[in-house]
Amino acid sequence: MAGLLVGIDVGGTFTDFVSYDPKTRAVDVWKNLTTPKDPNEGIVSGLGRVKTPGDIGNIRLGTTIATNAILERKGAVVAYITTEGFKDVPFIQRGNRRSHYDITWIKPKPLVKRRHCYEVRERILASGEVLTPLDPETVRAAAKAIKADGTIEAVAVNLLFAYVSPEHEREVKKILEAELPGMPVSISYDVLPKWKEYERASTTLADAYVKPIVSRYATTLKQRLKDKGITDHVVLIKSNGGEMTLDAAANAPIQMTVSGPTGGVIAAKHLAKLCGVNHLVTLDMGGTSTDCATVINGRENFTTDFEIEFGVPIQIPMIDIRTIGAGGGSLAWIDKGGMLRVGPQSAGASPGPACYKMGGTEATVTDANVALGRISPINFLGGAMTLDAAAAKTAVEAVAKKLGRTADEIALAMIRIANNNMVGALRSVLIERGLDPRDFALLAFGGAGPLHINDLMDDAGIPSGIVPNHPGQFSAFGFIMTDARVDTQRTVQMTSKRFDQARASEVMKALVDSGIAELAAQGYVKNVEVHRSVELRYLGQNYELEVPIPFDRFDATTTPKVWELFHQMHLARFGFNIPREIIEAITLKATVVSLTEKPAIANVAKGTGAKPVSSRKVVFANGALDTPVYDRAKLGEGDAMTGPAVIEEPASVTILNPGRKLKVDAYGNLLIGKLAGE
Amino acid sequence: MTDTPAYDMVTMNIIDSSMVSICREMGIVLMKTSYSTIFNEGLDFTCALTDTKGNMIAVAEFCPAQIGGMPLLIKTCAQEIPLATLDEGDVIIHNDPYRGGLHVPEHTLFKPFYVDGELMGFCVAIGHIAEVGGMVPGGFAGEATEIFHEGFRIPPVKIRKRNKDVPEVWKLWLANVRTPRHNHGDLRAMIGALDTGEKRIAELVKKYGKAVFRKTCDDLMDYAERRMRSEIAAFPDGHYDFEDWVENDGIEDKPYRLYVKVHVQGDEMVVDFTGSAPQAKGPINATLGVAWSSTYNAVFHLTDPTIPKNSGCFRPVRVLAAPGTVANVDYPAPEVAGNTETHPRLAGIVIGALSKCLPERAMAAESGTGGNFVFGGQHPEHDEYYACYDLMSGGWGGRSYADGNDAVIAINGNCRFIPTEVFETRFPFVVENFALLPDSAGAGKFRGGLGFQKTLRARGAEITASQCTDRHRVKTWALFGGGEGRNGATLFQQQGRNDWRTTVETYGKRSSSKFSNIMLRNGDRVRLEVSGGGGYGEPKARERKMIEEDVREGYVTRDAARRLYGLATGGDD
Repeated sequence: MAGLLVGIDVGGTFTDFVSYDPKTRAVDVWKNLTTPKDPNEGIVSGLGRVKTPGDIGNIRLGTTIATNAILERKGAVVAYITTEGFKDVPFIQRGNRRSHYDITWIKPKPLVKRRHCYEVRERILASGEVLTPLDPETVRAAAKAIKADGTIEAVAVNLLFAYVSPEHEREVKKILEAELPGMPVSISYDVLPKWKEYERASTTLADAYVKPIVSRYATTLKQRLKDKGITDHVVLIKSNGGEMTLDAAANAPIQMTVSGPTGGVIAAKHLAKLCGVNHLVTLDMGGTSTDCATVINGRENFTTDFEIEFGVPIQIPMIDIRTIGAGGGSLAWIDKGGMLRVGPQSAGASPGPACYKMGGTEATVTDANVALGRISPINFLGGAMTLDAAAAKTAVEAVAKKLGRTADEIALAMIRIANNNMVGALRSVLIERGLDPRDFALLAFGGAGPLHINDLMDDAGIPSGIVPNHPGQFSAFGFIMTDARVDTQRTVQMTSKRFDQARASEVMKALVDSGIAELAAQGYVKNVEVHRSVELRYLGQNYELEVPIPFDRFDATTTPKVWELFHQMHLARFGFNIPREIIEAITLKATVVSLTEKPAIANVAKGTGAKPVSSRKVVFANGALDTPVYDRAKLGEGDAMTGPAVIEEPASVTILNPGRKLKVDAYGNLLIGKLAGE
Repeated sequence: MTDTPAYDMVTMNIIDSSMVSICREMGIVLMKTSYSTIFNEGLDFTCALTDTKGNMIAVAEFCPAQIGGMPLLIKTCAQEIPLATLDEGDVIIHNDPYRGGLHVPEHTLFKPFYVDGELMGFCVAIGHIAEVGGMVPGGFAGEATEIFHEGFRIPPVKIRKRNKDVPEVWKLWLANVRTPRHNHGDLRAMIGALDTGEKRIAELVKKYGKAVFRKTCDDLMDYAERRMRSEIAAFPDGHYDFEDWVENDGIEDKPYRLYVKVHVQGDEMVVDFTGSAPQAKGPINATLGVAWSSTYNAVFHLTDPTIPKNSGCFRPVRVLAAPGTVANVDYPAPEVAGNTETHPRLAGIVIGALSKCLPERAMAAESGTGGNFVFGGQHPEHDEYYACYDLMSGGWGGRSYADGNDAVIAINGNCRFIPTEVFETRFPFVVENFALLPDSAGAGKFRGGLGFQKTLRARGAEITASQCTDRHRVKTWALFGGGEGRNGATLFQQQGRNDWRTTVETYGKRSSSKFSNIMLRNGDRVRLEVSGGGGYGEPKARERKMIEEDVREGYVTRDAARRLYGLATGGDD
């Protein structure tokens, strides 16, 4: 690996940087303010920290540009082309509403105007049989109308049953390319070859919607870096945690919808390997939200059920990250029945918690942590920002007074409630999927994660905890460890009663070949791994379980094993199965990964016995205790302690509850609980 | 820590959210493992927890129709199966509308949960099973005249004892439905949900202790009651009435009046349906459980949605429904559409009555139908009997601040439409269109939501179809000077003909909206249309730019814009 490897995570407030020097194995981390108007500005100026720009060999970038364009509805003007009779599918949606009893609810608008929807004459049936051949004149008429409209910047094509047969969609694309040269066209078969026309419409529309923006972004970024003499070897992080080239991103931008948060999961995956931990659950707690995900037997979990907001599904394969609106900035409030609640409203970065002294006066979780002595007002962000402890206390007291309690009681209650919200997120990725928390270690990062790790271990029944190095920049850290990854899938739909092994084998081969070709086109040809799976369910059910298949051909020996494995997985996941029932195979999937060279993480020095640098009063559930404070930078391998303790570092604070054990491993990670020998 | 209120409130908050999350987990098991499309795509089910008295202590948000009647249901069952005769691992099944149920397709399964051998409460799964036997495939017999026509009735009986199947009950039930493999899968899913709930809630009770758990559940209901009372206290005192009509009952060609008088006094209210029509011969009658559910549904829509939904919410609201009326039917009359048609309409008139004191919160009439087009037959390719409950709803009514939503399920449910690609894969129809109906919404300062249309063409074997819907003649009502929405319709075009006709004209039925067992042959078409919602406020008060946008987007035709809103010219970009 030549030159510095730099991981960049562009967040809402800060852009995080991590650089790794393969020659010296030195890791450097830093932050720069995000420049929302021109996110490239924050990146380029942040890279100024590297003295010789030419030293940078490779940049991996996680960005929310696609997500924000959708959430803020700032994408392109899109036209939608579909089967005759079905142009209202994006508007009718699925008929359900966000929550019961909310009479004020307003149905989400799709990413297209109804006047920009066009129908073409064609019809394919579920079997793939063509009921009505595509009438090219109707496509030309749509193209003409699009041209006449003059405002359209991209086109999404979604024909019924295209996942069975892409022929009509491809023909539509060909005609559009001839009639509208230069117009970006997304077809549903390329974006999401899966059944359910609304979900596919929404995903395909989103792809077209962000295409022009991402394409412009990629071009400017390349140019800006080039102008500065920095490498143009820049890749973007996909929602599946893999990397893709800028050109590939411009072509399939929907792949980057959840780019940033994946970094933490990738880093977790490597840390699990490094620490020899089988199962990790991650908790990335920031100012306004908390992300949870799992790494099981060294592999992250994937989903295709994502909705970017209620009613706007984006169903491409992505790392399954559960996000809840709870973070350090979550506000305490008293509801109409006198119940103390925390969040989901947040003070955000502005006005921020009361202790930030930036205009906020209401009590946040961060204020509660300050009031309880868990965060030091003078050592926040490594002393770069001084917090106002009195303001934190005043804010918490205001709530306490209304409930007739002391400030400490309310601060503790706020933390309990905030923790319970996060336990809910942990439950949803563990217990709700049939996983036992007792088999896991909790990996907490983000600025606020290490503050809550110990309480969360207790509340969620997770025996071990890990606070990694650089918890505040952990996502960016993950980006220097990504692989190139392509997920391919195709709905086949056959039952175990009449399973066409030859066809299934053929589709599987085509999926693998296309994944390999897609990676090769981006230059990834080394260390290629292939994973195959099939989504199965009992005939009649509507949701599938993904069953891994360790072979490349379906035959008389291998196929029955797949059915058997499904029965077993159904039992494990749902607590029951239906032996002898007909099984339906829905989607075949193949993942192709080109493994990249990973940084070798340097060991920390051997410890000489942990010595506190100071002590202060910290309030725990059982009362206030004089608590030793440690400087993380001074801890070495093998250093150990028993709580109560506070471990401080520039972007985070770890709280160790009374009686809990902590140990520093060879790489400097803080291990808590069972992993520390409890 | 002492047992002082503030501390209790924190524990209460945590136990409440944990219980709701348990209910949600039960629902996810049910959704992911069930067979009927009405379950797994339609989400027509509810998962809840109750205490030993049958008070609902937590519920997850799936289908709200079923929750209001739950206390009645459990109490009724307890009369027949004393708690002392229950064992750990028992599961009771029940679907009898005349024992606290809502309608025959709604099956309720309960499983008691115990901690250290002590009964602590019940896990409950209620779900709409698509095929229930009776005179039509799919449960909605528009021409039923007795409960016996509507499907196989199950009084509360144990379908499992100590976690083992009771084979006699399974055999008896599965022999009386048309799609036993599907019904078996649906019940397994419901039992799977109960087992999950039982495990989780027992863990939760153990964590906090039985005494704390019981006390917290009581506190939680008191808390919800307190919140509900403070909401009602803010309603102006008075007597408010409203009426609507169900156009016919499928048997006799005459409309049935639904009438309510809501009395608000202090922090309580009485909702009295006296004055509603005597019960019908056909299936539009509501059970008492439906009258309760619809009332609570309406009240929940007009109060703070963050109030925890448990039995405490029900306490300040009393429901009166005279026996022998369409709002509280007497045995053995039919009532399947009482839960899908009369139910949202009763909820609607409660909202309508309260619009007189809460004009800013109210909504004009929504389509208020489940569509309920049901069909079945022998599948030409799958070699198996199939049955489908296809659900369609039209527009919401306008509100004081926004237009009604287009094409959304009636407020008594929260189901999803079946995607065309799933529909055609499962059933021998070709869907020819799936389209919003321009001009179907009532005009207003804020217009209603649009209804929509779906056209089906039978492909291959014969299909037996039935329907229970409404609003083919009675329009969605408006508020404060708005316009009524356009009616829905069910029309047929038989193979070889060019015209579209109703069931009355095509098949000699008495009602266009409620009918049983018509036969669709290869090439026959059926067009289902659901109505738009009513408008809110005078159309002339509508902002011009909203009218112009409606015209550009094709929600309102230029001609209608001229007629209803007086839009003279322009409207172009």
